Amino acid sequence: MEVVNARAALLSNFEVLSLLKELESDHLARTKTIQRIKKEEEANGTGVPGNHGAVLETSENLRTIEVEAIGYLGADYLPTSKQTSEGITKLVKALEPYNLTKAEKLQIVNLAPTSPVELYVIVEELEDRLGDRMEGLLERIQSIQGEISSSASAGTAAATAAAGVNGIVGEDPQVIGSVSWDNPTDDFGEDADAIYDEEMFDDSGEGVGVEGDLDLEDD
Amino acid sequence: MFQLAIIKDTIPIHPQHFAVPPSEAITAELNKKYANRVLHEVGLCISVFDLADVGEGRVRYGDGFLWYKVTFRMVVFRPFVSEVVAAKVKSSDEDGIRVSMGFFDDMYIPAIYLPQPSAFDPNERAHFWLPDSPLKSTTDLLDTPTSERMYIDTNEVVCVRVEQDEFYDDEPGPIKVVEGVIQEADKGLGSKRPPYSIVCSIAEQGLGPIVWWSGAQVVEDGEGMEEG
Repeated sequence: MEVVNARAALLSNFEVLSLLKELESDHLARTKTIQRIKKEEEANGTGVPGNHGAVLETSENLRTIEVEAIGYLGADYLPTSKQTSEGITKLVKALEPYNLTKAEKLQIVNLAPTSPVELYVIVEELEDRLGDRMEGLLERIQSIQGEISSSASAGTAAATAAAGVNGIVGEDPQVIGSVSWDNPTDDFGEDADAIYDEEMFDDSGEGVGVEGDLDLEDD
Repeated sequence: MFQLAIIKDTIPIHPQHFAVPPSEAITAELNKKYANRVLHEVGLCISVFDLADVGEGRVRYGDGFLWYKVTFRMVVFRPFVSEVVAAKVKSSDEDGIRVSMGFFDDMYIPAIYLPQPSAFDPNERAHFWLPDSPLKSTTDLLDTPTSERMYIDTNEVVCVRVEQDEFYDDEPGPIKVVEGVIQEADKGLGSKRPPYSIVCSIAEQGLGPIVWWSGAQVVEDGEGMEEG
């Protein structure tokens, strides 16, 4: 196990919340499938105990952290649950002319400060760098955040069904310049064939030259 | 607050999962291995973000697993130093306040990072702050009337600034042998340290309970505005 890069990119709370909600909806769909299969097997009497290889089970740790993190990120005191990806893109563009560092922009997106005191805590040397532009910045944030809440609350009412969240998230993957997150299987464009071929057991080992040493690099 | 880490690892897939597309099986195994665990010097792993590169699955001599070499990105919780986050107060004692985010509990505010002047009230089991008070010693502060004190109660939402984080790798160490007899590892208080803990501060203006500073904010849901 090797950590190639411990800090390759920063993520906003909104991106993480969307990812976790997607995982949760996958998990719910999978549990329903498992239950349906169980019921069918009981009805038919064909059930083989313990054989559910076709549907993966979610690990408990993942469920725990999913539930807790969704609980935290969806809380009232954070603006995250009311944000949309278009709203965030708009907010980041609006922050362009103020010369803020990446970290400061990220914190503004995560916390949506609306009063000078909150902004003072996030941005260093507020008076020197922004001075009288601070009021303008706060107003911008407030107006965009207000837009986000009113449009998102209309959207989220319909989208609180787990499957619906994917609709909001899937369209605009470009958030704060971080990498878009397509479906993981898309990354397997080249390798797809290789994997499926290799799934056959390698029975041809004569005892010598058997593929036992995984530490060798690929030829 | 959250970062992406790029990690390389080798993952075994059990034959019972061969029916599933390998990317799903690999992601599930990675989540089983890493979710909700602390990686030393990286942070608290939340979940796999995506798979960047997967090698061919190979069978090892001796077991039926397919071993895949994977390079993947993982969502990791690690607030950077001087970041401001919102959290809930979990408990208070004389040394400071313990703060939690629900999924992560080991965040501490030691007494030095509380707004000055403040003191700990043993009756209420909570710290309180006296804004603009010239008093210095704890006994003087405890003499002040209760109505003037700004208490920091349990379950209050506070904004904290991260000052530093500490990783602690709990290794058992070499086996101690005394006179040919193997000694059992001493499971004292040393093993109780959390693998990842964060030290925070609420000493500045704007930090601490959100309700203290909400005076200028538009009240959307009618929460009470107790002002400092």
